[in-house]
Amino acid sequence: MELFEHTAAQLSDMLAKKECSSEELTASVFDRIHSIEPEIGAYITLCEDLALKQAKDVDARRISGEELAPLAGIPIGVKDNICTKDILTTCASKMLYNFVPPYDATVIQKLRAQGVVISGKLNMDEFAMGSSCETSYFKKTRNPYNTAYVPGGSSGGSAAAVAAGEAVLSLGSDTGGSIRLPSSYCGVIGLKPTYGSVSRFGLVAFASSLDQIGPIGRSVSDVAMLYQAIYGYDPHDATSVAAKHESTTFHAGNNIKGKIIGIPKEYFMSGISTEVHDLVMKAAKVFEENGAILKEVSLPSTDYALSAYYIISSAEASSNLARFDGVKYGYRAEKFDNLIDMYERTRSQGFGDEVKRRILLGTFVLSSGYYDAYYKRAKLLQKQILQEFNDIFASCDLLLTPTGTDTAFRIGEKMGDPLKMYQNDICTVTVNIAGLPAISVPCGMAASNGMPVGMQLIAPKFEEQRLFDAAGCYEANIGNLCQIPMDIKKEVIS
Amino acid sequence: MKIDVKRLAKLAHLQISAEQEKVYAAQMQDILEMVEKLPQLESKESLVDPNNPMTLRKDIPENSYKRDVILQNAPQTQAGCIVVPKVMD
Amino acid sequence: MSYEMVIGLEIHAELSTQSKIYCSCKNEFGFEVNTRCCPICTGMPGTLPTLNEKVVEYAVKMGCALGCKINQVSKQDRKNYFYPDLPKAYQISQYDIPLCENGHVDILVDGKEKRIGVTRIHIEEDAGKLLHGESFSGSLVDFNRCGVPLIEIVSEPDMRSPQEAKAYLETIRSILQYLDISDCKMQEGSIRCDVNVSVMKSGSNEFGTRCEMKNVNSFSGAVRAIEYEAKRQIAVLEAGGTIEQETRKWDDTKGESILLRSKEDAQDYRYFPEPDLSTIVLDDSYIEEIRSSIPELPNKKISRYIRDYGLSQIDATLLADDMQKALLFEHTIKENNCTPKSVCNWILGDISKYMNEKNCTISELGITAKNLSDLIALIENGTISNAVGKKVFDFMLETKKTPKSIVEEKGFVQISDENALAEIVKAVLANNQKSVDDYHNGKTNALGFLVGQCMKATKGQGNPAKMKELLLQALA
Repeated sequence: MELFEHTAAQLSDMLAKKECSSEELTASVFDRIHSIEPEIGAYITLCEDLALKQAKDVDARRISGEELAPLAGIPIGVKDNICTKDILTTCASKMLYNFVPPYDATVIQKLRAQGVVISGKLNMDEFAMGSSCETSYFKKTRNPYNTAYVPGGSSGGSAAAVAAGEAVLSLGSDTGGSIRLPSSYCGVIGLKPTYGSVSRFGLVAFASSLDQIGPIGRSVSDVAMLYQAIYGYDPHDATSVAAKHESTTFHAGNNIKGKIIGIPKEYFMSGISTEVHDLVMKAAKVFEENGAILKEVSLPSTDYALSAYYIISSAEASSNLARFDGVKYGYRAEKFDNLIDMYERTRSQGFGDEVKRRILLGTFVLSSGYYDAYYKRAKLLQKQILQEFNDIFASCDLLLTPTGTDTAFRIGEKMGDPLKMYQNDICTVTVNIAGLPAISVPCGMAASNGMPVGMQLIAPKFEEQRLFDAAGCYEANIGNLCQIPMDIKKEVIS
Repeated sequence: MKIDVKRLAKLAHLQISAEQEKVYAAQMQDILEMVEKLPQLESKESLVDPNNPMTLRKDIPENSYKRDVILQNAPQTQAGCIVVPKVMD
Repeated sequence: MSYEMVIGLEIHAELSTQSKIYCSCKNEFGFEVNTRCCPICTGMPGTLPTLNEKVVEYAVKMGCALGCKINQVSKQDRKNYFYPDLPKAYQISQYDIPLCENGHVDILVDGKEKRIGVTRIHIEEDAGKLLHGESFSGSLVDFNRCGVPLIEIVSEPDMRSPQEAKAYLETIRSILQYLDISDCKMQEGSIRCDVNVSVMKSGSNEFGTRCEMKNVNSFSGAVRAIEYEAKRQIAVLEAGGTIEQETRKWDDTKGESILLRSKEDAQDYRYFPEPDLSTIVLDDSYIEEIRSSIPELPNKKISRYIRDYGLSQIDATLLADDMQKALLFEHTIKENNCTPKSVCNWILGDISKYMNEKNCTISELGITAKNLSDLIALIENGTISNAVGKKVFDFMLETKKTPKSIVEEKGFVQISDENALAEIVKAVLANNQKSVDDYHNGKTNALGFLVGQCMKATKGQGNPAKMKELLLQALA
């Protein structure tokens, strides 16, 4: 077994026992990258030299007897919308094709302080707007289970890299499902933390009130370890929360005896493929066999969540992305007649279609005369959705739903039909709207196409440990949930 | 409802071809139809959540960044400033 | 047909906090371009704002001073528009829930008090600056001012003349200075205002259509802008036209305003709640603590000085405008041994002159209320003359000694003894026969000369009134 195939938990142990060095591990990961990256296309920027240097530093510190953090020396990939000082950060957009941040995001500062090795910057949908990783300006990332399929989005590079062994762990960001959906499509585990539990400082904003950075890994322990490393109050983020769980050590639990798992019926109705439905219900049985109590519940506002999501996220995006005007950084149109012309040409040439569509939608819902009917109504609905969740959690410990309505789809299949593309997010957006934590865990393969299927567990705010308990229990029953596909299937795209 | 994509594009400083305008208009129409199904919720109250108070920052100054670092990504600079096409205020 | 003006003002005042409103860069004026900046105030991708608590405190202070209702729950909103000096392409401001609203301020015009309503006070960030060079085809952007904290004070359309507007501006400025929350330096742009003007037929109570004038950078400029705009609007109406609601730009050097944008071009700012900041929640005790820290305000002082001490409006205003002068005045009067009018004269006269010469403040002058009142008392009870008083004052500043000890040390006591003075008068008359003749030939100003000679002979210590009396007797 090659070093890159191990989980972070295993590697942490091996590094601590000096069974391998970080340099060896990092070299192994980069060997894997060099052999497979041409098929997958997970990275926008590779930091091989820097990573090897970081690895050597950590090794030296370990040899000198220094006490190191659990993730020290482990290579982690970072989604390209998280600012890394002196490392290109593009948001997969032409608009930021040359942007080198002069500062580190808070999560990166934390990881650096813990001796984590940064392998590179991962591909994504442009400005995190998409569910397939197809809107990237630079490249299309492919699903490691079958390269004819999308990896899901927007953190497609983050999920694909971990699934393919091109990184031990990765950071993604999740605004409407952008960590969970690609995790589900690529057969890995992805956590969308409680809104406010991980600092957003340095995350290039898409929709400020919904965005959260979160971990993706190949075991529940791995995800818990990375979450442990990045969570916590940050004075630089006014929306971050001094959480109640500050002193918790997150870990993969295994006991869910007596826990009540709600099954919201709205998530199993029309639009969900039978394969997904059956695999998630099969997983529910595993929980039941381990002493959990299943309970059918109802979240009637779910039907409206997607609309509310698109209004709120587009509105915020239209404002957040206004700063990309060719003045201060990134792309500036080559020819223009005057200031307004420069703005218009820069933004028209620098943004892709999907981004422009959302900016226009967001501009519309905020414009004078429409604010109350759209934006305000969506925000009021958000309150109502949150209230429904609060009511449900009075009698449930967790909720179980599918992550996606179906498995990954083929590259190109849904481009050109935004509404169809948006439907992919139907199971995940509610969680962002309510600011809750949720995890996507692989729960089998679809027989029809051999692609992974994910289930989603949802917990009340700041109850991430409950997610790790349930996911850990499932993992303990099933065994290794995320096998790196060594033999990558390549279907000819017709 | 008829969406004036041209006006929105002007507000957002985007240039949109006539062809794109049609595509966007149709796609946005679809999305807005989805939105129309939202229940009518109205409130005179402002969107503010008193249960979510913010911790304020202490008024303690810190050093600024070096000018070259602040300007390192600028497409055009001169005399320590970013250059833009002439504006009349 | 006669018209009446209706004027409302929006004042932007930069707050004198240590750091900027949303980042920790120093809030300082006059540094090299783009050297008071960080990724946050230059709007780099990924950065987030954090609100400076002093900005809230200062705004609440102003709100309390203007009798506003302080909103215990408020929020911030984004105002979206593109401009090169606005790096995020939105300004963080407050839209529907300002920190303070429904206040008022009393102003004094021609001795009459008038109450002007204050609609609201909200906090927001300042934008950067654009620099234009003649030799250069583009504009340069300096971000140093980005994120400097501002309060915007919006008045009701309660003013009816440029004089009232000016009085309002001056009153607001002196309150800001009293509260020590803004430098109020016009030339540095730390106070700016937008002027809303409409006209209506005299006696009507239906307001006309208003126009907003931007770029008014001085109080006298505000007066000129209002006069210009009212005249323009009246001319339009007299010619049978109608006033269009529009935004105009005031050019103070040319003394005219030009159209900036009409109502149709009104910007759609797409305000919405700032998602990067949560709610501003202030509790009762916080607000009460600030409220109780507010000193008596200058406009209240002016009225009180006129009413209780019989000062003129001009003198009262000059005193009250400078809090240190006002406090020295009040403390000196409390010593209760001299008249308020003399104290006022001393502060506005010699003390102010001295301050100007030395370019210093009262506290730097090191004069105490006790010393000042004792000095004035010595003059008023005839112990020393006014002229000697000025000498004593100089010594006082120099040596920090009490006026009494200076007078004793220097032997400055005024000579009021009639016999001693009569001797001197006699000698002066004998030595100045020409002036005596002049006097008798009707040149009455010769008397002044003779008094002067007498004073000189007494080294300034003779009682001038007595001396004049004796001279007149002798010349009769």
